[in-house]
Amino acid sequence: MAHEAVWGERASGHARRLTSRYLAPALFLAPATALIVLFFLLPVLTTLGLSLTDISTLTFRQPRWVGVANYRQLLGDPFLGRIMANTARYVLLTLLFNVGMGLVLALLTTSVRERYGGQVRALWLLPRILPPVVYVFIWQGLTREAPFGLVSDVLGVSKNWITASPWTVIILANGLVGASFGMLIFTSAIRAIPLDLFYAAAVDGATSGQTVRRVVLPLLRWPILFVTAYQTLSLLTSFEYILLLTNGGPGFYTTTVWALHAYQLALQNYFGNVQFGLGAAMAAVLVVIGLVVSLLYLRVFNFRALVTEPKVEVN
Amino acid sequence: MRRTLVVLTGVLALLALLLPPAQAQRVVVIRAWTIGPDNPSVTRYNNLVTAAERLNSDLRREGAGVQVKVEGFFDTTNWDSYLRRVLLGFQSNEGPDIVQANASLNATWAEGGFIIPLDAYLPRHRQFADVVPSLWDALKYKGKIWGVPQDTEARPLYFNKVLLRQLGWTEAQIAALPDRLAKGDFTWDDVLAAAREAVQKRVIEAGKGYYHRPVNGPDFIQWYRSFGGRIFDEATGRLVITRAALLRYYTWIRTGVEAGVIERDRLNNDWNRFFQPVTDGKVLFFSGGTWQWAEMAQLWVHNKGGEEWLFATFGYGPHPTHVKGGKAITMSNPQAYFVSAKSANKDLAVRLLAYTTTPDLDAKHAVGSAHLPVLKTTARMINNRFLKEVSYLLNYTTFAPAHPDLSKWQDAIFRGLSAVESGQVPPAQGVEFVVNEMQRTIGNQLLVE
Repeated sequence: MAHEAVWGERASGHARRLTSRYLAPALFLAPATALIVLFFLLPVLTTLGLSLTDISTLTFRQPRWVGVANYRQLLGDPFLGRIMANTARYVLLTLLFNVGMGLVLALLTTSVRERYGGQVRALWLLPRILPPVVYVFIWQGLTREAPFGLVSDVLGVSKNWITASPWTVIILANGLVGASFGMLIFTSAIRAIPLDLFYAAAVDGATSGQTVRRVVLPLLRWPILFVTAYQTLSLLTSFEYILLLTNGGPGFYTTTVWALHAYQLALQNYFGNVQFGLGAAMAAVLVVIGLVVSLLYLRVFNFRALVTEPKVEVN
Repeated sequence: MRRTLVVLTGVLALLALLLPPAQAQRVVVIRAWTIGPDNPSVTRYNNLVTAAERLNSDLRREGAGVQVKVEGFFDTTNWDSYLRRVLLGFQSNEGPDIVQANASLNATWAEGGFIIPLDAYLPRHRQFADVVPSLWDALKYKGKIWGVPQDTEARPLYFNKVLLRQLGWTEAQIAALPDRLAKGDFTWDDVLAAAREAVQKRVIEAGKGYYHRPVNGPDFIQWYRSFGGRIFDEATGRLVITRAALLRYYTWIRTGVEAGVIERDRLNNDWNRFFQPVTDGKVLFFSGGTWQWAEMAQLWVHNKGGEEWLFATFGYGPHPTHVKGGKAITMSNPQAYFVSAKSANKDLAVRLLAYTTTPDLDAKHAVGSAHLPVLKTTARMINNRFLKEVSYLLNYTTFAPAHPDLSKWQDAIFRGLSAVESGQVPPAQGVEFVVNEMQRTIGNQLLVE
């Protein structure tokens, strides 16, 4: 009895120490954790749950458990490889354009007088603040046949450029929007580099190219990682411009990417029979791919080293 | 004491003023969701509002103590988003009582348990007896009727008379073309030959010999059928795919593309790229629908002379067949009003539909949006040149079959066509793709022949 009491007291003391030690951090972390659980974990679990049912327009009221039948049907699709390849192509090429263009813009606009640099950057933000539908409308106008389309007029070759070279248009349209994101992040990162370093480089007789390569780029590692990772994940799941420009055409899955295919299966059908279960299975696969890619980035860019104390002092 | 009395009387008088009249009217809201997506079809919603006014005056006369109020919307975006909205609406308690959509959706929605069969309600209202009988067939599924016909149409093959003249056709030849189409004397191959000649003689630009719609739609069933395909097997109630017919259709399209008569990117998702060249008078043959006549008149050629210009420029007939002497074809995709299974006022909703199914409202919608009327009376009394001239097409009409997996069938056909037309795969391989995809998605509900 007494022994028990002592034991209980010791346990409660231990518990108290634990709470006092972890209470403050737990409190601080609670809001973010709650948000992640609510808006990320629960949707993922819901998606996984839906992907194991046959829910569609037909069975909307009484969906049945079908186990992995949806995943099996996905694997049976002969065009799966093609859609995968399209996705890889779309993500990689757009990423190169996004990050590369963002970097170039940041370097250029920071190396001229701020008045002009700011104006150029403001111009590049235009596509981002346009609603996608309006933005695509402009692209459609540019790429139409002569005498309506500007591109046809300028090049003197009259064709519809969206259907003639759909990939180029998709990557450009996406890239022009995406580049402004990298541009902003990189600009502020370049601003944060102490001027002393540039003076030192100039004193050592470095050319502009060398300064960029040896001073600026190494210090931009973290922002570059962040932008690359962020853009990869958003490109993996984004399809609105493809949907509006080509809707996955022209032809058999020509520009259909994974996210668009999932959307078409799960939500879009001219005749109103949509297969939520199958779409959810595709979305679940996308979540897994996203996680793998994130982990890969953290490894490649050596995340741990990046979040230690900064080597550059900024006062 | 007297003061109290005065105050009391005052209060009572006030109350009497505030209270509704002795015959308290309960207002029942009937939610109705409708779609064009073509603008001129707005009467699909407005007619319900007009019908509600008439119903209300009758209800007042009967002393029913109920008044109906129609709330809802007319959608002009696209079918995808509308149907998605409807599906979620069916699930919620705020959903519609009445939904207008393609009659062929009856199978899907009946299977899903979203709508009710109307067989018990229809005999109560004399208005429904006036509906053209074949339209009820388009709404039958598993022996029951699931909706009330709202309108119907036909899908003609239009041709540009001005261009045919430039090609050297005489007036008599042009006037005889609809008849030749109907008799099976002018086939798909003749369409191709005329278009090819027009390209060679520089009457039209390359690719503008024949236009079909740029997006998915019911018309692809019609074209597949015109090449001899079967889609539905009455005996087993299963969907059918006829390999040989599909191959003929795909081959015809591919031949047209290679001959420079059809654009390889015709399926480009952009209706403007359909209507612009057509109404610029640059396209020789194009497949369309009767409602597009109103669309063109009101939105595309209103400053060229509207309908006058259309009559002067375009002729129309049924779609051709693929063999001499074969059967010409068109397709009707009737619209219907459905009543939601969740509706709390099914009786009133059906009665409202009865008041909507009257000759004057039917005519108003038909004339205003170039659809065909659904009532026998309207068909007799309507005095509109275009509708009169296209109504004979109904003798050649076909419907989409009522089958819950129809959408998968149509998606496969459409994807195959887009691959063949753009030159990604040869026709024979395209057919194999389609058959495989159907077998994968439709399974044992499909007969391959």
